[in-house]
Amino acid sequence: MDDKTRLDLYRVMVLSRTFEEAILREYHADKKPAFDIGAGLVPGEMHLSAGQEPVAAGVCAHLRAADAVTATHRPHHVAIAHGVDLDKMAAEIFGREGGLGRGRGGHMHLFDPDVHFSCSGIIAEGLPPALGQAFAFSRGEDNRVAVAFTGEGAANQGAFHESLNLAALWKLPVVFVVEDNDWAISVPRDASTCIPSNADRAAAYGIPGQRIDDNDVEAIYTTAGDAVARARAGEGPTLLEIHTLRLWGHFEGDPQAYRPELADVPGQDPIPAYEQRLTQAGILDADAARAIKDEASARVEKAIAFAKSSPVPAPETALDYVFA
Amino acid sequence: MSATETTTAAEGAPAGQSGRKLTTARAMAEGIAQEMERDAGVVVLGEDIGNYGGIFGSTTGLLEKFGRDRVLDTPISETAFIGLGIGAAVEGMRPVVELMFVDFFGVAMDQIYNHMAKIHFESGGNVRVPMVLMTATGGGYSDAEQHSQCLWGTFAHLPGMKVVVPSNPADAKGLMISAIRDDNPVVYMFHKGIMGLPWMAKNPRSVAPVPEEPYETPIGKAAVARAGSDATVVTLSLSVHHALDVAEKMAAEHGVDLEVIDLRSLVPLDSDTILSSVARTGRLLVVDEDYQSFGLSGEIAARVAETDPGLLRAPLRRVAVPDVPIPYARSLERAVLPTPERIEAAVRDLCKA
Amino acid sequence: MAEVVFPRLSENEPDAEGVLATWFVSDGDQVASGQLLGEVMVEKVSGEVLAPAAGQVHLLVGEDQTTRQGEVIARID
Repeated sequence: MDDKTRLDLYRVMVLSRTFEEAILREYHADKKPAFDIGAGLVPGEMHLSAGQEPVAAGVCAHLRAADAVTATHRPHHVAIAHGVDLDKMAAEIFGREGGLGRGRGGHMHLFDPDVHFSCSGIIAEGLPPALGQAFAFSRGEDNRVAVAFTGEGAANQGAFHESLNLAALWKLPVVFVVEDNDWAISVPRDASTCIPSNADRAAAYGIPGQRIDDNDVEAIYTTAGDAVARARAGEGPTLLEIHTLRLWGHFEGDPQAYRPELADVPGQDPIPAYEQRLTQAGILDADAARAIKDEASARVEKAIAFAKSSPVPAPETALDYVFA
Repeated sequence: MSATETTTAAEGAPAGQSGRKLTTARAMAEGIAQEMERDAGVVVLGEDIGNYGGIFGSTTGLLEKFGRDRVLDTPISETAFIGLGIGAAVEGMRPVVELMFVDFFGVAMDQIYNHMAKIHFESGGNVRVPMVLMTATGGGYSDAEQHSQCLWGTFAHLPGMKVVVPSNPADAKGLMISAIRDDNPVVYMFHKGIMGLPWMAKNPRSVAPVPEEPYETPIGKAAVARAGSDATVVTLSLSVHHALDVAEKMAAEHGVDLEVIDLRSLVPLDSDTILSSVARTGRLLVVDEDYQSFGLSGEIAARVAETDPGLLRAPLRRVAVPDVPIPYARSLERAVLPTPERIEAAVRDLCKA
Repeated sequence: MAEVVFPRLSENEPDAEGVLATWFVSDGDQVASGQLLGEVMVEKVSGEVLAPAAGQVHLLVGEDQTTRQGEVIARID
């Protein structure tokens, strides 16, 4: 891996984390003194991706704007890594007219057709549409691919199994990425899944399966590169499972009383660890890191400001956009 | 020509047709074939729609004509292949996906109502899902609880998908072409009893003239299948055939002149045609093979009542499937379906006051 | 004058009985060669009846009438 690639991975992860920290701040700012989920400028559920940045950065580095990505209820890191318009994404999270969905979708229903990005709040149900995008791409000449992200909890849903079978059967150019962050809300994987690794399920569908165990962005980058290349070459789907880290709660407001190892979690944060690794390799120094973080902050605050200045949708327009 | 043929000809199919007749099944398949010829992005997916031609004949002849690249038999994976249709539509194709029996919607409803129907709205209109979900409905041949339902009320109730329900071959072709060309998701619900299948008892109206060229039947516009002045019968699908049979009998034997409205679309619903008819006749019977409560017949009653309850000179009547799973035994099934006998009894009751 | 014959759907039983399920044309209609005239059923298998020639068709059996494979079911002149 060349230095530029490694720095780009770091840059994307920093941008993503900076965004999540800003959303965290904005989300909680006006829900005090006691958490009220429906209050404030960003009401509703909020599922932030802190700790899972390596998955998004490592996989999406191999994708072009013309490739499709479907993501989950925890979509921001994937959206950012795939190049979704940050201003419009922020405005959508704030429910404003200038948002990706004109405020109609919110944080779990982000659609950016310019980069073929979509996400959904229903577990595992982002996989079937990704198959369809791959199906459409397979009829073209430019070897585009679709990547479907999902969680380890989703690997027990019917849609997961149906999608793997059909993608394998029709040799669709799709990559399935399972983010194993150990927890399906409060249920640990060993209480939900009959086998230790979902990558082993790939064999049941006759496709390659690979598990990466250490949330290491470079290992993810390398493995994902192989999977994306396979898909582009017409060799069909691959299942990747990446053991990653959910740094914060399932949703904002989640007290995480069920999580015994919570005190250890911050120490496993992948971004400071990668920063240290790049510094030791001589690719990054304190000034360069600072510059990257400042640039990310400036970009994120610009997006937040754009969101806040975007108009609130008028009630009279509530029935618009049901049909084209 | 019968009233049905005249009206459907006037309401979308080119006029003055006679001669070349098709069953509803073949008319649907012809509509799909003509669109497939016109637009390379139209593909057909579903269980047994290839070699078999669809178990109710909806895709007869398509595989021979267009090959496996565009006519794809799928595994028994409704969530996966309906979702695949959604993703392909998002990327600009126009898939026609068959859900073999509407009763199977349970295994895939999330993709249908939470994705296919909502993506356009969630994206603020930025993403379109131009797909057709076609599905077989209806009973009357002893297929029992899990294979005889209509369920259009359920689909019509959930926002974001158009719902069309043809009653005859000419509308079946025209609505299919309109549905494929529509940029929205369209749920196309065809009653097995109108398909004209050689292996199921059929009403003669299931075989009728169909224009040979492509044409669109407007979505959202009801047809007056029979003009009349004494009472309005609002209905759809196979019940249109029964209502017309009853209307002929009532005219010949009792001098009662029924107006029969064939809804053809539930979403959008043509309230104007319904209300203007009721305003003239003052008597309303809704015949609906879906379950009675919390559905289509109640919706029509509500639209009349909230416009002007004074339009009605008598309480409205509805003949629907009572709130019971559809039984297997023929005697029981006939007791719950909206048969001509039940329709006639309701008309007499409606008109006696 | 051309004969329209009930198609042989069952290879095993050449004289199998079947039914003329649906006529798509009316008695006396002008038909084209190859035009779909009707649909037949032998047990579970359905088949198409195509016009062997162009001309005016005369239907010799009615719908739902039991017939045999190979029987003449219409004439075209």
